[in-house]
Amino acid sequence: MSMIDELEGIAASARERIEQAQSLEALDAVRVAVTGKKGQLTAVLRSMGSLTPEERPQVGKLANEVRRQVEAVLAERKAQLEAAELAARIEASSVDVTLPGRRPHVGTQHLISQIVDEIQDIFIGLGYSIESGPYVETEYYNFTSLNAPADHPSRSPRDTFYVEDPLNPSAGSLVSDVLLRTQTSPVQMRTMEAQKPPIYMLSPGRVFRPDTADANHLPQFTQIEGLVVDEGITFGDLKGTLDHMAKELFGPHRATRYRPHFFPFTEPSCELDVSCGVCGGSGCRFCNHTGWIEILGCGLVDPNVFGYAGIDPERYSGFAFGMGAERIAALRYDLPDLRMLMTGDMRFLRQF
Amino acid sequence: MRVSYEWLSTMVDLPQQVPDLVAELIRTGTEVEAVEHTGASLDHVVTGYILSCVPHPDSDHMKVTMVDVGPHNVDDHGDPVPLQIVCGAPNVAAHQHVIVAMEGAVLPGDFKIKKSKLRGVESCGMNCSARELGIGSEHDGIMVLPEDAPIGVPAGDYLGLSDTVIDCEITPNRPDCLSMTGFATEVGAILSEPTHIEVPAIAHEVKPATKDLVDVAIADPERCSRYCARVVRNVKIGPSPAWLARRIVAAGSRPINNVVDITNYVMYLTGQPLHAFDLDTLTQRDGKRHIVVRPATDGEVLRTLDGQDRILTPDMTVISDDGDAAVALAGVMGGENSEVTEKTVNILLESACFSPGHTSRTSRDLGLMSEASIRFERGVDAAGCVEVADIAAALFESCCEAEVCRGVVDVYPEPVEAATISLRPSRVRELCGADIPNDFMVEALARLGCSVVPSRLGSYLDVVAPTNRPDLTREIDLVEEVLRLWGMDRVEPTVPGAPNHPGGLTDLQRHAHMVGEALRASGLCETLTYNFADTGDLERLRMPDERLGQPVVILNPLTADQGQMRRTMIPGLLRSVAYNLAHGQDDVALYEQGRVFYGSPEASQPAEPQHVAGVLCGAWQQDSWDQKARPLDFFDGKGAVEQLAEALKIERLRFKVASPEKYPWLQPGRAAQIMAGKQCVGWLGNIHPLSLANFDIDQDVVAFEIDQDALLSHAQDMLPYQDIPTLPGVEQDLAIVVDEDVDYETCIQRIGSAGGKLLVDVRLFDVYRDPVRVGPHKKSMAFALTFRDPKRTLTAEDVEKVMDKLVKKISKSLGAEVRS
Repeated sequence: MSMIDELEGIAASARERIEQAQSLEALDAVRVAVTGKKGQLTAVLRSMGSLTPEERPQVGKLANEVRRQVEAVLAERKAQLEAAELAARIEASSVDVTLPGRRPHVGTQHLISQIVDEIQDIFIGLGYSIESGPYVETEYYNFTSLNAPADHPSRSPRDTFYVEDPLNPSAGSLVSDVLLRTQTSPVQMRTMEAQKPPIYMLSPGRVFRPDTADANHLPQFTQIEGLVVDEGITFGDLKGTLDHMAKELFGPHRATRYRPHFFPFTEPSCELDVSCGVCGGSGCRFCNHTGWIEILGCGLVDPNVFGYAGIDPERYSGFAFGMGAERIAALRYDLPDLRMLMTGDMRFLRQF
Repeated sequence: MRVSYEWLSTMVDLPQQVPDLVAELIRTGTEVEAVEHTGASLDHVVTGYILSCVPHPDSDHMKVTMVDVGPHNVDDHGDPVPLQIVCGAPNVAAHQHVIVAMEGAVLPGDFKIKKSKLRGVESCGMNCSARELGIGSEHDGIMVLPEDAPIGVPAGDYLGLSDTVIDCEITPNRPDCLSMTGFATEVGAILSEPTHIEVPAIAHEVKPATKDLVDVAIADPERCSRYCARVVRNVKIGPSPAWLARRIVAAGSRPINNVVDITNYVMYLTGQPLHAFDLDTLTQRDGKRHIVVRPATDGEVLRTLDGQDRILTPDMTVISDDGDAAVALAGVMGGENSEVTEKTVNILLESACFSPGHTSRTSRDLGLMSEASIRFERGVDAAGCVEVADIAAALFESCCEAEVCRGVVDVYPEPVEAATISLRPSRVRELCGADIPNDFMVEALARLGCSVVPSRLGSYLDVVAPTNRPDLTREIDLVEEVLRLWGMDRVEPTVPGAPNHPGGLTDLQRHAHMVGEALRASGLCETLTYNFADTGDLERLRMPDERLGQPVVILNPLTADQGQMRRTMIPGLLRSVAYNLAHGQDDVALYEQGRVFYGSPEASQPAEPQHVAGVLCGAWQQDSWDQKARPLDFFDGKGAVEQLAEALKIERLRFKVASPEKYPWLQPGRAAQIMAGKQCVGWLGNIHPLSLANFDIDQDVVAFEIDQDALLSHAQDMLPYQDIPTLPGVEQDLAIVVDEDVDYETCIQRIGSAGGKLLVDVRLFDVYRDPVRVGPHKKSMAFALTFRDPKRTLTAEDVEKVMDKLVKKISKSLGAEVRS
């Protein structure tokens, strides 16, 4: 057999073996066997010495041609096998994408805190600061300085929790000069005493009233009080501010209504209603068929209150408002029972 | 206040449609609670004619009547047929025109009329008395109508009962609106309509003069600022005229007799409560009766008109008979001993003014509220007492055929003066932020009953408020009147710019928010618990009260378990854990930010430090498809606290063993003090199983409570930047065997100081115990150490040198055996 025949035989058998290789390892074995240092082609080339000078260029050329062809087929087959292996790996790692993902265990903020934060953010955006005061308050700050008459029913032990004053023992009486604040309004007075106008403040916090806990009442709840004292503050400013808050809190399409009312610490006083979000104002069960939902009480600061605070009511005017965070929560989610806010039920807390 | 539309319409022109008035009331500050149509309650009640009346076959006093009700009862062909009605009234007779309640009618008092059999005879309705219809006190027999009365007309229409009652909520500053005249004035001002209020006047006065029959003494004018008495004689007690009965029914009273009904009527009309005494029940001395208004004596007993014995205190005021026995509880209710009865002939009428404070307390303390007490609590206009007494006397004269004795006995030590107020129209516009014209102000105030005179230069208005408006004493009060009548809705909304007031959160407030954020990021849910505590809570928790101040004791707690303010937040949180466990929720992770209360014998108000506390129980989550649930333990709680410290950039946070003596509520061996620098800011640990049992919890609970104020004092906003290393570090493992009581913190400290500057990180990656291979009471700890020099690449020899030195040092300082 001539060397030319041998080379052609190598080429043909290599092509066949390459095509039959089913893995990258098998393919590499073919490569080594054919084009490796100890491979068939190398062996053929090594025996070139036995050829005549006329045959050598012819055979050399053919040998190179065979090597080039074999290498090309090897490369092509390698690419094929690599693609197939990648495809197999991808196939093997496919998952049921509908299985639940792994999530970090993140806790939730209490609904009431969320509402307080939300309202706080609205007012911080308007340039307000946040103030706080004691929960165990004096009668002076909770009532007297807020212009509540001495005989006002809200001062009775039916409406106010009184606490023992260590400096002035109650000796069996149910009232005392120290109490659990029934409203966040004492913070108004404390802020006016501590700071000079301009005052733009919000004071969210717990308040306490002797209402037995039921679906609609809690003996401890959360009030959010606001106070502005500055030169030239008008009733229009009160409206503009609270309209802004109502739209931020309830949505841009809700209308507002100011109903004159009475509070001892503001004059003029009013209550703010927003149009019912369920019926849009036409009247339904949710709004007791009035089309309106009451959300807060407000008014211009009564000059008597300025008097207690030592602020000149001729130079300064102001407005104040107060609302219940629990009420806002109940309105927003139509909560069936306010007591859910206090039990720490994980199923409730995780919803918000 | 129940306002009859019919009655109101006699005083001021009203809109055709009731809802239009309601809308105007709400707009100007009178809350409307309900609107009732009273005629509607007399559905199925019609006028009828008694065709025949025969005795009942089985009864001595009942009769069987056939009553024509026109088209309201028809046969199968649609032809009218009479109703058979069994009637027990003594005055029933044939050919009477009557009022018939047919089947389906519901009479006042929820009295439902049904078809029934009375002693075997079918009865298809009832012939009604005035009392049964709720329009009078007559109940001796059925109501007999005039002969010209139509047949088969709805009774509401025939009697003029069709009315609308607007039930209004009157705010406590508006006693004037607790009267029809005051309400009409308010409505006139709202609608800009004139009022036309007419009241009856006395036709004749007769001798003897009232002053010759009665004298009045007031012991304490503070309690009773005015007392007017009038005497009327020879009253004929009987039912009230229908128009009067109807109005007091609309206002919410039940007709009793003409005398009592008149006092109620005049009260609804004027807002002035009146009381009628039976003059002859009072003691006569020197030819006169002597009314003495005095404080009650302690324990004095008075049987009030409702038949109850009331035990009085000296804060209460009584009307007494010549200073002796009490005959009425001032401002609240009359006494049974001087009550007007059917036998009463002569009447002493009281029109007085009692103090709001005393009345309010008396009413509250006795749990006795009346139409009178409601009005005195809010303030009655003392200036009007005489005029009101005259109105009542005029009605006694016209409705009870009484003789009115001449004059009034009037004790009025300090007459009230109408308030005079200067109103600057410019100030009104300034405060309201609305361009309200002067003319509007003048007209609105005048319609409210003020006299308004512009000052000579026109810069202000001199306003004299009516005496029935105690809420109008200052300029600002008039501003409110003008604004609410002008319309709050007409004021342009503006937002003040808060100039020269930088707002926003303080650092402390921002850091407090970060506490919550960090704990939520660690997996805890925020909750709220009551700030109240049970007296036994600390004992139940086994927490000593040292350093927790004195309890803040609530004098009037709602429930015994809310008798104090809390001194720790843990009991509340444990109750939430128990609640969850009881409701099948085994995995609980809660935190709360709130206050605790430490009282002091030297201060009226307690310290109220802010705390943050948390509880962990169960697992983060239940088993999932690729993860088994891992029970939460001490280190989950610790991790949350460490995370919190990291968020607040607190550098020197440490945990020290908390001694069982000082921390008996924690499980020994799983109890730590939380240290920020040298300050103990709180504790962390497993709650002692004995404490948990007291809260009905039978599972491990890890808890922490931190003085948030103290913690935040260590918080920082930023730490300096650290260069990111550009050269590689060399890692080397180190395993040491130490005694069991050598703690991790000590190991780290000793390794750190032994490693010198090149040692940049030490990480514990294994702890191993084996009595044989490691030894009893010993543990093997494996650390990964990282060495790095920021300036050059370390060689193997460099590291070997440092390690040799390190091993030698810690072998000595920790008593450690190094395993290679």
